[in-house]
Amino acid sequence: MKINYGLISADSHAAFERNDFTRRMSASKWGDRIPQVVEVEEKGCRVDRWSVYGVAADNSVCNCPAVMGEPFPTYPKRWDEVPRTAYEPRERLKALDTDGVDAEVLFPNPPGGTFFEFRDAEFELAVVRAYNDTLSEWARASDRYLPVAILPYLSDPQTIAREIERAEAGGHRGVNVLGQMPKSLPHLTDPYWYPVWGVCQELGVPIHFHGSAGLRAGASVRKWDGYTPRQAHSASTATSAVTPAQIIPQLIFSGVTERFPRLKCVFAEAGIGGLNYVLAACDHEWECRHLWTEGIATRPSEAIRRQMYVNFWFEAEGIKLRHDIGIDNIMWESDFPHVASYYPRSWKEVERVLKGVPREDRRKLLYENALRVYRIEATVPEKND
Amino acid sequence: MHLKYGLISVDDHIQEPPSLWTDRLSKNRFGDRVPHLERAVDGTERWMVDGQALLNGYPANAGALMADRNREPRCWNDVPSATYLASERLKAMDASGVDYSVLYPSVAGFAGEAFGRLQDPELELACVQAYNDWLIEEWAAASPRFVPQCIVPIWPVEATVEEIRRAVTKGHRGVVFPSLPMHLRSVPHVSGPEYDPVWAICEELGVPVCLHSGASNELQYAPLTGLAPALAEALDAVTKPVSSVFVISLYSFSRVLLRHPRLRIVLAESALSWGMLYMEWADHQFEHDGLAREGYDLKPSEMFHRQCWFTSWFDEVAPFAKYVGTDRILWSTNFPLATSTWPRTRETITRCFQDVSAETREKLLWKNAANLYQL
Repeated sequence: MKINYGLISADSHAAFERNDFTRRMSASKWGDRIPQVVEVEEKGCRVDRWSVYGVAADNSVCNCPAVMGEPFPTYPKRWDEVPRTAYEPRERLKALDTDGVDAEVLFPNPPGGTFFEFRDAEFELAVVRAYNDTLSEWARASDRYLPVAILPYLSDPQTIAREIERAEAGGHRGVNVLGQMPKSLPHLTDPYWYPVWGVCQELGVPIHFHGSAGLRAGASVRKWDGYTPRQAHSASTATSAVTPAQIIPQLIFSGVTERFPRLKCVFAEAGIGGLNYVLAACDHEWECRHLWTEGIATRPSEAIRRQMYVNFWFEAEGIKLRHDIGIDNIMWESDFPHVASYYPRSWKEVERVLKGVPREDRRKLLYENALRVYRIEATVPEKND
Repeated sequence: MHLKYGLISVDDHIQEPPSLWTDRLSKNRFGDRVPHLERAVDGTERWMVDGQALLNGYPANAGALMADRNREPRCWNDVPSATYLASERLKAMDASGVDYSVLYPSVAGFAGEAFGRLQDPELELACVQAYNDWLIEEWAAASPRFVPQCIVPIWPVEATVEEIRRAVTKGHRGVVFPSLPMHLRSVPHVSGPEYDPVWAICEELGVPVCLHSGASNELQYAPLTGLAPALAEALDAVTKPVSSVFVISLYSFSRVLLRHPRLRIVLAESALSWGMLYMEWADHQFEHDGLAREGYDLKPSEMFHRQCWFTSWFDEVAPFAKYVGTDRILWSTNFPLATSTWPRTRETITRCFQDVSAETREKLLWKNAANLYQL
C-alpha cells in the first residue's frame, strides 16, 4: 500500500449491496431467511428494510448519514436513496480520496454482524461466510480496505477457528468479537474460546471490540422513558466509554493475556481515555492483592501496552495524555459513514485534536501504529509528515 | 476543626457488630428476619436478613487488615476490632495519618443498598433506623473525627424524606443513597419526578448525597464462574468504580442535576482517571446530538463542575486535576477493604501527588472535604 495522505481509519463501516447475500446463499436451502431488502409499511409510508431470517429490521436500510447530505443526520428510507459510495467499493475509494484517508478498517453495517440472534447454527455459519466473502471482495477491489471478519458463535470453536483462517486467507485483517458472548455460550474468558484466540494469535489478526460490544445486555442502567430519542442516544453513547474498562480487566485477570501474550485486542469507538483508568486500577489491584501469586505473572500495565489498542477521533484532552496511555497503542478512527464521522472534513478535526502534537507522535497516531497492528507493508513518501 | 495529619478520608467503611440489629429491632415483630450472624456447621458465619445472605457471605469485609489480603474473615472471632470498634479505629487512623473519616456501611451495603432489596418496607425502615441511630450513638458520640452519614429506605418517598430529616437532626452529615433504587426492587425510576422530594430535602438541609459505586451489580461485567476468589474480587474491584459512568451520565442527562442546582453529589469510590474521558465524551455527544436545543442550560461537564465530586485513592492526580477541577476531587483510604491503601496510605499519596502543587494537594486531601461537610 502507498501512503498518500498519512491517515488510516481504524474504524469505518462497509455497507452491503442489497444482493450481497442473495447472490451468495442458496435460495433453495435458505429461502427468505437470506438477508435481503424488503418493502414494509411504517406509519403509513412504504419503506425499505433489511430482512434477516424472515424478520424485517426496525432500523434504516443503510446506516450512512455521513454521505446523505443535509439535513444531518439523515437516514435513507428507500434503497434508491442509498448513495453508491456507501456500498460500492470502487465508488467509495473516491470518498476516501475526498476525505484524505489512505485506508480503512471495515466493521459491520446493516444487516449487521449479530446473526447468532436467530439461534440457528447452520444458518449463522452460512450467512457469516457470505458476509466475510463479501468483504473479501472489497479487499480484492483495493488494498486500501482492511476488513474485519465476523464469527459464527453458535458453531464449535474449531469451526470458528477454520472460518477465521478462511477469512484471513481472503484478505480479512482482524475479527470482530462480542464483549459478552451470546446467552447459552460460555463466558468471554472461558477456556472454551481458547482455540479461537489461539488461531488469531498465530495468524496475527487482532480481535476487535466495537462500541458497547454488546455489553449493554449485561451492564447498563434500566431504561428511563422520560428521554427524547436524542437524549437517549447521548446518554447511552456516553457510557460506551467504559467498554474497555469492563473488558480489559476480564482478559487480564482471567489469564487470557497470560496465555496468549501475542494476541492483539483493539477497542473501536470507545475512546482512549478509559485506558488511563484501566492501567492504574489493574496495577493497583495486582499490587495490593499480590496477584502474581494467583497466576497473573505479568504486571497488567505491561500486558496492556503489549496487547491493547484504543482509537480516538475527538478527544483533544485525551490526546494530551497520549504518553500516559501509550503512544504506540492509539490509532485514529473516522467511523465513516456513521453519524460520528467528520467526512468530508476529517482532516480539520484531526488538526484540532492534534494541535501542538510533534511530528513523530502524529505519524504514530495517524497511520504508523495502524500499519504495525494490521501488518501492512506500505511505502511512505517523504512528504507525508 | 483540628488537623494533625492533613488528611480527611471521605470514604471508609465501618463494620456493623453482630448485636446491632438484634438489640434494636423487635423480636416479636420481625422474628429471625432481623439482620443477624448465622453460624454454619463448619463454624463459618455469615450475615442474614429476611432469609438472604449479605456481604457476599462473609461476616465482615476487612481485607486490608488480614494477614492475607485475599482471605476475608470467615467467622466473627477472626474479624479485626479496628473494623467495628470506634476506639480501635481511631488508633488505625492515627497509624495511617487520617484526621477525619467519613463513614459508609458494610452489612447495609457499601452503597447503602442492602435493605432496599427487602420486599417489606417496614422491615427496611426498621433496619435503616437502627443503623442510623447506632452510628450516632457508638461512633459519632465517640469522637468528632468520625463523620457519620445516614442510609435511607428507598420507598415510599415520604419515608425516605422523613428518615433523612430525622437522621440529619440527630447529627448525620451526609446521605448514602443507593444510586439506582429501581435496580433493587420495584420502585419508580430514579430519573423521574417521583424522587424529586429526596433531592429537595437534601438541598434544604445542605447535606451531600453520596452515590457510592457498586449500588447495582447490573452495572458490572460479571467475572467467569469458577475464577479464583482473589481474581474475581480483583475484577469486581476494578469494574466497580468505573461503573459510576452510568450513574453520573444518568443524573446529568435525565436533568436531576439541572432540576436541583444546589444538590451536591459525591461519587464515592469512583476513582478519578476516567473522569476526564467521561466529561470530554459526554460534552462531545451533547453537542453532536444538539441537546442544547432540548432544554439543557448546562453541558454535562458544567453540571459536574457545579455540583459533583470524584473520590480517589490510588490514581495519579496531576494528569487529570486541571480538567476535572481541583475543587471537584476528594481523597480517601477505603479502609478496611482489600483495595484500601492501608497500611501504605502515606506512600500512596506521595506517588499519586507527584507534580501537584502544595495548594492543590491541600484542597484534595482535606480542604474540599472540610468545605463539603462543613467541618
